[in-house]
Amino acid sequence: MYKIMMFEGGVYKFYELKELVGDLGGFILQESVMQTETMMHLAFPEEDEREIRNKIKELGGKFKKLPLAGTEIIVVVPSLGKHHAVDPMCDIAEFLRRSGAITNMMGLARGVGRRIAQMTTQEKKIIEEFDAAVFIFGTFEECIEEKVRLCRNIDIPYIIVGGPSDMELEHYVGGVGRKTARMRNKDEIDRLYDVASELERALAEKRLDIEEDPIAASPLFIKDMIERTIPPKTGEELPNVIQLDGLRVKMEDEDIEKIKEIEIGNKKLSEICEIKKSLYTGYLLEIKSEAVTGALF
Amino acid sequence: MEVKVEGVSDFANESYTKICQDTFRDAGLRSNIDHVYMHCNPKEFVFIIAVKIGRVSRPVTVWDVTLREEKKLRITTERYAPKLLAVLWDKYGEKVEQLGRLELLLKLEDNEIKELLDLVLYDPKEDLVTRVLYALDTILPEGARVRSPMHSANSVVIIASENPIGKEQKNKVEEMVREYV
Repeated sequence: MYKIMMFEGGVYKFYELKELVGDLGGFILQESVMQTETMMHLAFPEEDEREIRNKIKELGGKFKKLPLAGTEIIVVVPSLGKHHAVDPMCDIAEFLRRSGAITNMMGLARGVGRRIAQMTTQEKKIIEEFDAAVFIFGTFEECIEEKVRLCRNIDIPYIIVGGPSDMELEHYVGGVGRKTARMRNKDEIDRLYDVASELERALAEKRLDIEEDPIAASPLFIKDMIERTIPPKTGEELPNVIQLDGLRVKMEDEDIEKIKEIEIGNKKLSEICEIKKSLYTGYLLEIKSEAVTGALF
Repeated sequence: MEVKVEGVSDFANESYTKICQDTFRDAGLRSNIDHVYMHCNPKEFVFIIAVKIGRVSRPVTVWDVTLREEKKLRITTERYAPKLLAVLWDKYGEKVEQLGRLELLLKLEDNEIKELLDLVLYDPKEDLVTRVLYALDTILPEGARVRSPMHSANSVVIIASENPIGKEQKNKVEEMVREYV
């Protein structure tokens, strides 16, 4: 299993860290160099954490855990109108990104109101493309109780964020409600921490499922193989996004035919992944379990 | 501006009080409103908001936004520049010439210039109700799309719901908000 963590530090000898991660069989997921400051998301085998930590200490950098790294999350609000955007929707999405998640935001077409709130089948399908969803449902208890029924049929882990502090719902975080300004006070930031940790708890179930029935190859490894065959275009940010049990690749249709032929161990990518066009963006690669594909190496 | 929100839990009341305050502040209406009363009933999904309009600032004249230098006018508040130019060109035509971004040359007599300085550029009373309604639209929940407004000389009351609003309900609301408007 890979562990994903963030390195923050200067540019001094940071290539040595990159080399070390490569030598250990790890990957650099994200890298940004801002003048003399460097930020990198590193993925490396769990057992080599000590070695990486020692190197970072030697370079004088900081090491930060990313509990949501390797996940793609969708933040869903009843609409994209001024009532729900930008606060608290963007505050939550930004905080989840700080915890390592890749976030996307979605406003429902007919999600407003209490009795009239709806979620279309297409919206449900889009939400289910992600690892987990965060629903933000406003201030009123009565409305949240009614709107919860929209999420009942969703097949992925999700949490609900709302105003009332206590509600008898699974994976619920209260104390947020409607906002007109950025969540920057201490207690508001504590709520954001609660959202991130509740999401982590919701995802733990999915992680356990994957651990019990392991997938054929790590999405990190497949992403690396894809990028070796079709290098990302200059200036393109996150062309391939990793999920817990798959990937989202944003490529041209003709490139998809090329990646189907990539060899992963003794099998082709098309044999170990289910490839389908995403309703949202790009293509989804769902990695089959090892029990289905057999050993690759 | 006083804000009173009733009908729901303490958290929701507090939350909507803050939403009212922030929205009216952002719309630049805080000093124009005496008080706001809001009643929320999420069970039946009916929201009532009553706004009592107070003092309105006096109209903005050419004198307020410019500085006279003999036959020249220097614009001191640039946000009124387009409106100022439109008004002056409309009234005086080629006698008003724009020399620079913030400088105007007036080919007018002294008494005409005095008259010009008193021209009204913007009267906050004109679009006050529109601005209040825009702010109320931001405050009221988006799902409450059936709106029934009640407007008098110095107050605005809106009943909002996702269900049809009957006459009986309107009468009930009128009684409810009587002491606030």
